[in-house]
Amino acid sequence: MIKSFASEYIFRRAYSVLQCTRFSTASQPITESKLQSFRSEENDPLKHTLDHVGQFYRIPEEEKNIFLYGGLPKSFEIQAKTFNETCLMIRRPSVDVINCLKLIDYTKPTVRFVIFGKKGSGKSLCLAHILHYAHKARYLIVHVPWVGNWMRRCKEISSSETREGYIDLNIDAAAWLVHFKSQNEHLLNNPEFQISQDYVWSKRETTPKGSPLSELVDHGVNRLKYASECVVGLAEEIKHLSRSGHCKTLVAIDGFNAFFYPHTRVFKEKKEVVPPNKVTLTEAFLSLTKFDWNNAAIVTTVDEIAIAEQDHKSHLPRYLLRKEGFEHMDPFIPIFVDNYSPKEFTSCMDYYRERKWVRYYPQQNEELALLSVNNPYNLMHLCASL
Amino acid sequence: MAAIRTFVKNCQIINRNCAVLSPHVQKHGMSQYPSYYIEPVHKKEIQEDLIKSGEIQKLAHLPTKAARNDQSSSFRQDDLVNLFINYVMRNGEKVLARGLVEKAFENIKRIQLEKYHKCDDVEKKAKIELAPRVIFHQAVENCKPILALTPIKRGGVRYQVPVPITPKRSQFLSMKWLIEAAKEKDATMRFHYQLALELIDAANNKGRVVKRKQDLHKQCEANRAYAHYRWS
Repeated sequence: MIKSFASEYIFRRAYSVLQCTRFSTASQPITESKLQSFRSEENDPLKHTLDHVGQFYRIPEEEKNIFLYGGLPKSFEIQAKTFNETCLMIRRPSVDVINCLKLIDYTKPTVRFVIFGKKGSGKSLCLAHILHYAHKARYLIVHVPWVGNWMRRCKEISSSETREGYIDLNIDAAAWLVHFKSQNEHLLNNPEFQISQDYVWSKRETTPKGSPLSELVDHGVNRLKYASECVVGLAEEIKHLSRSGHCKTLVAIDGFNAFFYPHTRVFKEKKEVVPPNKVTLTEAFLSLTKFDWNNAAIVTTVDEIAIAEQDHKSHLPRYLLRKEGFEHMDPFIPIFVDNYSPKEFTSCMDYYRERKWVRYYPQQNEELALLSVNNPYNLMHLCASL
Repeated sequence: MAAIRTFVKNCQIINRNCAVLSPHVQKHGMSQYPSYYIEPVHKKEIQEDLIKSGEIQKLAHLPTKAARNDQSSSFRQDDLVNLFINYVMRNGEKVLARGLVEKAFENIKRIQLEKYHKCDDVEKKAKIELAPRVIFHQAVENCKPILALTPIKRGGVRYQVPVPITPKRSQFLSMKWLIEAAKEKDATMRFHYQLALELIDAANNKGRVVKRKQDLHKQCEANRAYAHYRWS
């Protein structure tokens, strides 16, 4: 009796062990299971949750086109070229914003998010992750890659003809229109996107009411003289389209505080400083970030690097946005991007080692964590020479 | 400190009247420490070795100099790399020199990784060296000359005589030639990028610096008839 019980038990145990070995990972080398711990299998930002925080996900080649004219920091683009892939880390602030975007009531006025954090903590990449989500969820994307390029490194200026005392940034406006067109190609083909009013540019040039939105964009690209006015007109049209329910919009602006910093590097003929409230482009994006429209969400970043070095005193939104900016944006949802948590730090170091960027030596993680203060940018610099 | 040294070099009085200076200064130059101070041991492995062998008992109670700013017990420290940074440095700008060498290492990694990702053959891939410090050590090793030419005067004629050189001098020449080759570049090219290219070439036994060493060896071979002039 006991013998048969024992043999049955042994047989059942052996069978279950055999079943386990079919799916066991014990035979695979240790490096592969480490790979899976820092890489996520979920490459679709629509499905990212707090469980995926700390893991890297890969942006497929087709979807990288949204960043063709800007959106990813230069140092990150160089890293992506060296590593042969574009991988973003899924972090808590971006997942929080994405969850909010899924749950917002779009019939109510627009919700404004302000992402802030210390220098090099990952605000621009957080915005890039949100942009990828918006692209996948078929939002109409209005994305300004870096306001500092306009306020502190403008290509060309000219006096505005229609507005008294205003300055146009022609090349920058046209470049932005090209960027807008490339990000929203699949949506601009929609015949429902029509202009609601006539635009008279000069005696012979008009864009009539009812013509497609892409015509307005093309006019701005072809005629640099009217590019800034096109942008202002486009902003109004987008608000009108969202209000009437034709499309869901996401306005994403990196370095938003540059719109309120008075000491720009935009100079008139006699080296006079032009404040941002006298630049035509500012009008467009300040109107887009108001809460007088619905069916949209606004995500902005405030960054110390967008202003002059002598005023890099605090990373907090009230200081960076200044009085006018804060009154314009109030009420907003503040999103704090912190330095790496220990889990995120280990994940990042594992990724660098797997990509053969850094060679392992004993106590590497502890040493680099102390030297870089867990700051992502500092870590990138330290690992560059390792 | 560097300014004082250049001043002393240029100062003719000291150059001419060396014998007049006190034996105290002659013994250890401009050092702030008395001569019986010992160098610190900043590497943990060497400290552990000393403890094992018992040598530490002799050193433990001797007065020690302070560790320099570029010495630490971290694994990132490499004495040869520190020496190389010193050779790159001009006018005491250590931060700039260190930055240049670190950027050169970063460039080495980027160039090698590009080759690695382009390569399809698994065997060739395994042979591509990706660690910049390994490439640096290999490059310095490959560029070391064994003989050098010195001018020796016999019968009113100066002959270029091949003589052996010490390992330290050989290492110094190797690193100096690498830096000189990196400086011979287009005006638009950056020094750290050119240095990276030179180091990779030298590690693969190709390039300008290895050619310079080989030319020197050929000259020594050609002048071997004068070798006996060393002893007259």
